[in-house]
Amino acid sequence: MIVGSQKSIDEIWNMVKDFKKVLVFGCNTCVAISHAGGGKEAETIATLLRMRASQEGKSMEVDHTDVMRHCEPEYFEPVMDELKKYDLILSTACGVGVNFLSQRIGKIPVYPGVNTSFYGAVEAPGQFVELCAGCGNCILHLTGGICPVARCSKTLMNGPCGGTNKGKCEIGPEVDCAWYLIVERMKELGTLDKLAEIQPVRNWSTSRDGGPRRVSLEHIRAYEEGEARKSETAGGNK
Amino acid sequence: MSGGPATENKGTHLERAAALKETRPYSPCRAACPVNTDVQAYVGFIAQGRYAEAFEVIRSVNPIASACSVICHHPCEQACRRCSVDEPLSVRHLKRFALEQAADYRRSKRRLIEKTKNKSIGIIGSGPSGLTAANDLADMGYKVTIYERHPVLGGMLATAIPSYRLPREALKEDIDDVISKGIEVKTNCEIGKDVALKDVMAKHDAVLLALGLSLSRSLNIPGVEGQGVLLAIPFLADVAFNKKPDLGNRVLVVGGGNVAMDVARAARRLGIKDVEMVCLESAEEMPAWKWEVDEAVDEGIKIHHRWGPKAVKREGDKVKGLEVTKVLSVFDAERRFSPTFDNNQTTLIEADTIIITIGQMANVKFLKDSPVQVDERGRVTWDPKTQMSSARGVFCSGEVVTGPGSAIAAAASGHRSAIAIHLYLQGEAIEGALPTYQKEKLPELPADVVEKINREPRKKIKHLPAETRCSSFVPFEFGYDELEALEEAGRCRGCAGGAVVDTKKCMACLTCRRVCPYGAPVVQAYSEINPERCQACGLCAPECPAQAISMVSYDVRGPRDTMPEIVGAVDPKRQEPVIVAFLCTHHVGVKGFELPENVRKVPVHCTSRIDVNDLLKAFECGADGVAVVRCGNGSCKYKGVEGRVTARTEHAKKLIAMLGMEAGRIGLLTADAGNGKSYAAACAEFSGRVKEMGLKDAK
Ligand SMILES: Cc1cc2nc3c(=O)[nH]c(=O)nc-3n(C[C@H](O)[C@H](O)[C@H](O)COP(=O)(O)OP(=O)(O)OC[C@H]3O[C@@H](n4cnc5c(N)ncnc54)[C@H](O)[C@@H]3O)c2cc1C
Ligand code: SF4
Repeated sequence: MIVGSQKSIDEIWNMVKDFKKVLVFGCNTCVAISHAGGGKEAETIATLLRMRASQEGKSMEVDHTDVMRHCEPEYFEPVMDELKKYDLILSTACGVGVNFLSQRIGKIPVYPGVNTSFYGAVEAPGQFVELCAGCGNCILHLTGGICPVARCSKTLMNGPCGGTNKGKCEIGPEVDCAWYLIVERMKELGTLDKLAEIQPVRNWSTSRDGGPRRVSLEHIRAYEEGEARKSETAGGNK
Repeated sequence: MSGGPATENKGTHLERAAALKETRPYSPCRAACPVNTDVQAYVGFIAQGRYAEAFEVIRSVNPIASACSVICHHPCEQACRRCSVDEPLSVRHLKRFALEQAADYRRSKRRLIEKTKNKSIGIIGSGPSGLTAANDLADMGYKVTIYERHPVLGGMLATAIPSYRLPREALKEDIDDVISKGIEVKTNCEIGKDVALKDVMAKHDAVLLALGLSLSRSLNIPGVEGQGVLLAIPFLADVAFNKKPDLGNRVLVVGGGNVAMDVARAARRLGIKDVEMVCLESAEEMPAWKWEVDEAVDEGIKIHHRWGPKAVKREGDKVKGLEVTKVLSVFDAERRFSPTFDNNQTTLIEADTIIITIGQMANVKFLKDSPVQVDERGRVTWDPKTQMSSARGVFCSGEVVTGPGSAIAAAASGHRSAIAIHLYLQGEAIEGALPTYQKEKLPELPADVVEKINREPRKKIKHLPAETRCSSFVPFEFGYDELEALEEAGRCRGCAGGAVVDTKKCMACLTCRRVCPYGAPVVQAYSEINPERCQACGLCAPECPAQAISMVSYDVRGPRDTMPEIVGAVDPKRQEPVIVAFLCTHHVGVKGFELPENVRKVPVHCTSRIDVNDLLKAFECGADGVAVVRCGNGSCKYKGVEGRVTARTEHAKKLIAMLGMEAGRIGLLTADAGNGKSYAAACAEFSGRVKEMGLKDAK
């Protein structure tokens, strides 16, 4: 899931202070799981903003609401009319949600209330760790299920580097060395010999370096586009 | 969506939760009650000091609530799930307490009800079932006339149950509620004697026979006829109407049921020192409630067990005593009543008066030659599926058809008859449309949950000492005072009043499962909270990041939605800080002590229910400081919630600090659970600390 963390009230205040009618719009999936931007947090932020506005002597209306997910239009369409009554939407969804809503809501600005942190897991209640970087070209089968892209500070493909120190990374004693973990794990799996194979230079075009990415499923798109064409020729407006 | 969530919030929480409750198993107390009184709901209100609302819950299903609050045999208590922890909740006494507290409110609610339906109903008999039916039919807008042969209303409650158990002022409250709706009352009016049944039938569109069992059965033994031998019901009626029957010096009561107990104990109160009882059964087999027997024995009444009446012995006209035979067994192998005797073993129990209390029967002589059939054993022929007798438009309810039982069971029968009559008058089918009051209930508490519940003995009720109470008919049982009642109400585990998940909001994040001390949530595609385990502590709801959890028994948003009213207008020239104090009501509760004037209280039944957003809302509404006051020295109702409550207040402190406010404006205070003053003192001390930090925006 996507892990988010709340922005400070000062930062949010500076974004919203000149608006009169603000809606804090929570997303009840990933960012709710990370206790950053679900319905409950949206209410908290809305309350804090109202208090801040009153401290600053500003008249500002701040409400809150939430839907299940911001990354699929069907979820926020039912509240779209309601959203349009505001002059600013402070979205507490991840960046995906902010972009997505922003494209669809017309002239109303959508601002982020949350920093989108990473793809992570819930290691323990209230503790989230980054385990994947979404590079678009997975090699976890070669590295004992431990991702060097996300978890090695230098994203080394043939580690470890000389900075590894008793299982920790040279950037800080609290950071595990991913390559140390990989070696230990491969030992455990009895596949250590595979590490002797040198990984070739990686093609990063599937990752951020290749520009914006998109996954398009032909079997679904072909059908959907066919339907759209049909309704156009029938004069319908879908 | 102003200043809050976009959801609709109509009616009271209880009204909104009513439909949901019907889809879930009832708490066992509610399921056991013949009218399904929502015990958990009203006990919950009592625990929060909301007595008027407690009254409304009780009265909504029980028109003889005050009577029940002193004489009900309380099947709710026998069913209480706390039995597997320590002792059942003292439900009847809590009911009494709530009704006493809400007395003024109750009187202020009495209203004439408009007759919107142009039909009238004649009800014969004013006992629990007749009164209940009258109440319901009046509520529906029908014209109702009650015919009662006695000079007073109430049936056995007014004419048989002695006033030391059922004070007549209590009964009067019930009757006044009903009559104030605009019911015509004809007392001293015996149908079949003063007015003919056919005239009643001609006058009304429907008739209800709520006749009860007004005749006592007698014994068919030699010597029974003649002076000195009395029957229970006429004797009790004499007592009720202050006629002092001449009983001599020694009274012997024949019978071992509850009515026999009333007869014997009433005789004691008429000044008879030597009151004895004789019954077929052993102490264990006696049908009377154990507590009644114990109280009678305390009052010096002697019980001869396992003797059967053989003959009344007389000297001339005067009774000398009762000859009795030894009982060998009372029940046969199938547990049917079938006593056997040893005729060689007899004895004489001496007495001046013998009162026979071996059962009752209906007085239905006046139905002879009427369209209402009576069977060869003197029972009115009726159809329990429609409550109708053999005559169209003539209905039956209460003990006349169900046989002897409890007052509240007779009331339940009255409810059914009222609906049956309404359906009949509207030309609708009755069969299948009457409430059964048979509901699925929660099973016993799982053993591992029992382990997590604090042992807290039931609050004892004080009685007048046996020596003094026998000298008059003054009520012998005291009620709870406020602190006792709040403590007792706090013992309720809130069965069936717990957490429910909105599956449209839940994204199965597991937070509730991690938070719950009782292992109630099961999370798969979404969370489902097992009501069998849920203790309604409310710890989960404020933790749910999707706000998907609500509680059946209270409104989780209540404190923040009502915060503007709780805080009220904040005076910019104030000298003292405005403090909002969330007070746990579990121990000393919400009443019984005064808080400083500047403290606005928010009663919560355990601080586990407080949400960070509640604390923030208090500041938003103008509070200078917010206190969470919890019970100290390990007395918290719910084990293991303290850490979470601390974490929440710490989080809230960080949030207000982001606005430049002192973290110390939020105080997590601990008070001495047994002492109301310590709650006030903790608030006062905190208020002083906040005052030093300054008053927000004060001029
Ligand atoms: C001594 C005693 C103690 C009891 N103690 C308890 C207790 O502690 N707890 C408990 O729950 N229950 C108790 N009960 C049982 C309870 O009183 C009954 O269950 C209840 O009263 C039955 O209600 P009912 O409406 O069916 O009949 P009743 O209360 O008997 O009312 C019937 C009414 O109809 C009237 N009536 C009959 N025929 C005519 C007629 N022809 N014309 C006009 N009026 C007529 C009668 O006068 C009477 O007022 C006790 C009963 C007795 C006798
Ligand atoms: S604990 Fe409360 S809700 Fe549960 S059965 Fe007892 S009285 Fe009813």
